[in-house]
Amino acid sequence: MALLELKAVSKQFSRGRGRLLVLDSISTTIEQGQFIAMVGPSGCGKSTLLRIMNGLIPPSAGQVLYQGRQIDGINPECALVFQSFALLPWLSVKANVEMGLEARGVPLVERERRASIYIDKVGLDGFEEAYPRELSGGMKQRVGFARALAVEPKVLLMDEPFSALDALTAISLRGELLDMWQLPDMPVHTMVMVTHIIEEAVELADRIIVMAASPGRIVADLQIELPRPRDKRTEAFNSLTDRIFSLIEERA
Amino acid sequence: MAAMKVRLPMIRRMLGWLSWFAALAGLLALFFQYRHRAAILPPHLSVALGNLPYYAFCSFYRMLVAYVFSLLFAIAYGLNAAASPRRERFLIPAIDIAQSVPVVGFFPAAIYFFVALFNGSRLGVEMAAIFLIFTSQAWNMALGVYEAVKTIPADSLEALDAFGVKGWLRLKRLYLPAAVPKLVYNSILSWVAGWYFLIACEIIAVGPAHYRLPGLGSFLMEAADKGRSGELVAGLAMLLAIILVMDVFVWQPLSQWAAKFRYEFAASQESGAVGIFTVLEDWGINFRHLFRALFRPLIGLLGRLPRKPAYPRWHLEKPLRLLKWAALALGLGLLGYILIDGMVVLIRTLARPWPSEARLIPLAALASLARLLLAYLISLAWTLPCALLAADSPRFSRIVAPLAEIAGSMPATALFPVLVLFVIRLTGNMNLAAVLLILTGMQWYLLFNLLAGVRQVPTDLLEAGRSFGLSRLGTWRKVVIPALMPSLITGSITAWGGGWNALILSEYFIYHGRHYQVLGLGALLDRATYESGNGTLILLSLLSMVLIVMALNRLFWRPLYQFCTERFRVDY
Repeated sequence: MALLELKAVSKQFSRGRGRLLVLDSISTTIEQGQFIAMVGPSGCGKSTLLRIMNGLIPPSAGQVLYQGRQIDGINPECALVFQSFALLPWLSVKANVEMGLEARGVPLVERERRASIYIDKVGLDGFEEAYPRELSGGMKQRVGFARALAVEPKVLLMDEPFSALDALTAISLRGELLDMWQLPDMPVHTMVMVTHIIEEAVELADRIIVMAASPGRIVADLQIELPRPRDKRTEAFNSLTDRIFSLIEERA
Repeated sequence: MAAMKVRLPMIRRMLGWLSWFAALAGLLALFFQYRHRAAILPPHLSVALGNLPYYAFCSFYRMLVAYVFSLLFAIAYGLNAAASPRRERFLIPAIDIAQSVPVVGFFPAAIYFFVALFNGSRLGVEMAAIFLIFTSQAWNMALGVYEAVKTIPADSLEALDAFGVKGWLRLKRLYLPAAVPKLVYNSILSWVAGWYFLIACEIIAVGPAHYRLPGLGSFLMEAADKGRSGELVAGLAMLLAIILVMDVFVWQPLSQWAAKFRYEFAASQESGAVGIFTVLEDWGINFRHLFRALFRPLIGLLGRLPRKPAYPRWHLEKPLRLLKWAALALGLGLLGYILIDGMVVLIRTLARPWPSEARLIPLAALASLARLLLAYLISLAWTLPCALLAADSPRFSRIVAPLAEIAGSMPATALFPVLVLFVIRLTGNMNLAAVLLILTGMQWYLLFNLLAGVRQVPTDLLEAGRSFGLSRLGTWRKVVIPALMPSLITGSITAWGGGWNALILSEYFIYHGRHYQVLGLGALLDRATYESGNGTLILLSLLSMVLIVMALNRLFWRPLYQFCTERFRVDY
């Protein structure tokens, strides 16, 4: 059974006098254990789609099924990582990471224990009492990851997680993400990442969903068979990147 | 491996505990000692210097009680208004109306209501005074909370929704912290306003009845009236002392603490503002650790309570929806009843024959508006450059803010008689004196809001401007002034609200038995309240004032504020 299923999901926003169709009848399934990337130009609704998957936004039409059942609101088994980190500036790293656990009523001692584990896993050991304003962008996003992982979700949804970071930090974080994903003791094995960087998608994902804009729709669904770790300089990698690029170009 | 925690030596921790307890015990002891002095209302206040500490304590106590009520009200009201656009549409105009009804306008209502409620005892008059101070504090604090919550970045809201943070937890982790900077600054402002109206509130006179409360305000007024300059100076010195002590031990540490709640988008060095608590911390007395150590077992205990995460649902369950509708219907019904009842009383009062003075109202309104506009422009002319200078130099702002706070808290009302006589002797123009007095009621609101806005200009924007070679003037024009716009508008709204209040005190008063007045709405209202006690005229002048303010708000301030928050909000 598919973990997450979208059936003819559409989303309209009413802007001013007209209606804007952001997503047009999107149907796809997401299986357990997959790493999926959604690529597309800006305005193709990929971030909106991610939020519909999470339950943050309701679809205007269509259904979102999680483990066969229709969701009605936020899905607690999904966790979101934000492009702009979305940390609360007045909470320490530890308190930010504990936030999701606190909302679930996890007792204090257990919260602290779990938060410590995941802060350690993202490599921020020793920074528990630091405040976001004292951290660099890369560190802040690590906190974002720790917060999402701490609630031990089944699906990790990432909205352009490395776009706000400099290239070097992004490279190292991508590598760390892959390493973490492949560890057996990780709670989450299914990842959905939205990105506009094609190379990032090819480097990380098993499956790439290519989207086009106006209105947002799926134009291709590619399986990536290359073994990991993937080398950017190989023929196979580049031909994939070119193919995706041309798919996006011709629909522009 | 956990981060290394510094353990304070035992002796120093004990010292910290002791100082807390000592302060608390001292306050309580003072309270009980003075409680015994509660006596029947004296018709004439003794101006003996020996009574001064007691009067000071009474005033402070009233301010504190009124402040606590204002704080609770501001949080509840501001949060409600910011959280729902539907409620916002009537909650905010409601506050605008409330802000525009001058404190003195509440006098008859407050006296009759509370004294009747408490059967003429002193408690009734105390409650009336506290209520009046509350009305001078609560509205701007509520607006501050409203503004702070409205400008929370969208991604923080999304993150909290996504992780199921709702209800009390959301309040504790998002809304309250986000509101802290504005709350702290507006609290300072509110105490300023409170002290200003203390004098007005402590002498409550309606027609022939006089209810004088022992306190600093009445002490100062009595001393001024009797021409006892020595006692006047002593009273002012006592007031100044209280304000200074509060500034050092309460407001400055709080402002420092509030800086932590700013949204900052670049990793920046914390500027080491030195206040008394940082000094104490250096000596090893850390109140934050003490507080946490004290409450940790309690927090742990509370944490054991089962809590279900509240995720925002697309469709509310049926019984919950019914309950919501029922509560709404009940609330609306109650509100409707009160409104209709009030309307009936209003119509009945208006149905009585209007006094001849009512003819003067339109002209008086124009005169008052002209004075307010002039005072506002003068205030803007000096507060804006001040704020711009403060943006450039944090040192300037560190000097100016406490000075402004002290200067602004000194109730100019105590010095009014002296000021007016001085201006009249110089220029013979009472209008000028009135404008000057209105100015004192307006400028501090503007200044404080602008200074608060300046503190919240994100440093990365300033850095970006400077790095692109923007001149000082350019930075002001392109970065600081736009970023200040929401604070400027909020400050202006509050300043005008304060201006209307000050109007009452500035256009008419009695000194040494002589009447000084100008043509204006304030003067009309005062004459009706103090001289004739004519209910219809009071109501008419109040109504005209309220209508003018409402019109200004709807047609000018509100659209301007909408425009500013949309255009100038810092949201990445």
